[in-house]
Amino acid sequence: MANNIRDIKIRIESIKSTRQITNAMKMVAAAKLRKAQDKIINVRPYANHINEMIKRIKQKNRITQHPLLSEEEIKGIHAIVIVTADRGLCGSFNTNIIRKAIEYIAANPKAELICIGKKGYDYLKKNTDRIIKNYTGLFNEMNFSVSKDIASYLMDLFLNENYSKIEVLYNEFKSSIQHNIIAKQIFPILPEDQSETNYLDFIYEPDEKTIIDVLGKKYINVEIWRILLESSAAEQGARMTSMDSATDNATELIKQLTLQYNRARQAGITKEIIEIASGAEAINN
Amino acid sequence: MSKLNLTVIQPDKIKISSEYDHIIVPGSEGDFGIFPDHTPLITQIRTGILMLFRNKELEKYAIHDGFVTVENNLVIIICDTIEAADEIDTDRAENSRKRAEQRLKSNAKDIDFRRAEAALKRSLVRINIQKKNKF
Repeated sequence: MANNIRDIKIRIESIKSTRQITNAMKMVAAAKLRKAQDKIINVRPYANHINEMIKRIKQKNRITQHPLLSEEEIKGIHAIVIVTADRGLCGSFNTNIIRKAIEYIAANPKAELICIGKKGYDYLKKNTDRIIKNYTGLFNEMNFSVSKDIASYLMDLFLNENYSKIEVLYNEFKSSIQHNIIAKQIFPILPEDQSETNYLDFIYEPDEKTIIDVLGKKYINVEIWRILLESSAAEQGARMTSMDSATDNATELIKQLTLQYNRARQAGITKEIIEIASGAEAINN
Repeated sequence: MSKLNLTVIQPDKIKISSEYDHIIVPGSEGDFGIFPDHTPLITQIRTGILMLFRNKELEKYAIHDGFVTVENNLVIIICDTIEAADEIDTDRAENSRKRAEQRLKSNAKDIDFRRAEAALKRSLVRINIQKKNKF
């Protein structure tokens, strides 16, 4: 009996320290989430305006021959960028993306993969040999130049190699408890919101093509940056909620074990009293 | 007289949002002025000095690579970075100018000329903005 009591005590202690860790991770995730959210809000005006400009140029001038904006079906390799997290312990965040990625691979047997984030890469490299590039460890220190590197790599694939369509599969941040998986086409560029608006006639300087060349590059840069931020915010949100429920579960478990411990202790004391009482009775008799 | 409503957006924040009488923008084909009731325009901006005029007072900014859109007295500039004259660290700019010049002179094969050139241009603008403080 004494052994059992000690075991329960040890378990309670260990769960308590686990709870401390999950609680700390929850706090850290909450702080990081707030930072990532701020960054998303800050990048929005810039991204929206670039999007608006591209839409404007495309609609007014009906430019479809430009390679970045072409709407024709061209034969070529399709590629998909899969954005996961570098770390686990964030609920279904990584598994959902990986499941979608596997579905995509099954549906597009020729498509090639680019992995961002360690978790997705580690899993997918065992299942497919079509990963052409991977980026890991970039969520620790997120800055604009990282996304510029990725953007220029993708740009090079699309413009100089035989790639005709590039999509990105990522978790879009909705709220700290909700994130949606989104597959977004980034090459060729499809401006969001295709509604017709009556725009004024603009003067373009130097000319539309040069502007689209440069603007397209900026668009991809900021789009990749936004995707990385969304994904990292969604990751922190997922981690925060899953660590929150882990902390709750630990508290619940501690409660149950404490009850068990007290019962066992009580039983032990009762047993000892009975032993003493019956011993005393034996002497009296 | 109507005024220009100017917004300058950087990737990480809105840097300027205010009204001005007129502005001078370093366009890719040369500097040009924008006065109220300007015709609609979309233009590329090169690395250079952006001048903003309000009540005869001049504000100067070093601006790097972007676009300007003018429509109905609404001027929107998007750029990689923009810095006011007093935000610039002259020593740092001077150092980066030296570094860029060295890289360009070194003639090594593995340097990226366009990047070094862009770095040189940026640092020169940052240095010049301090010198020409009169218009």
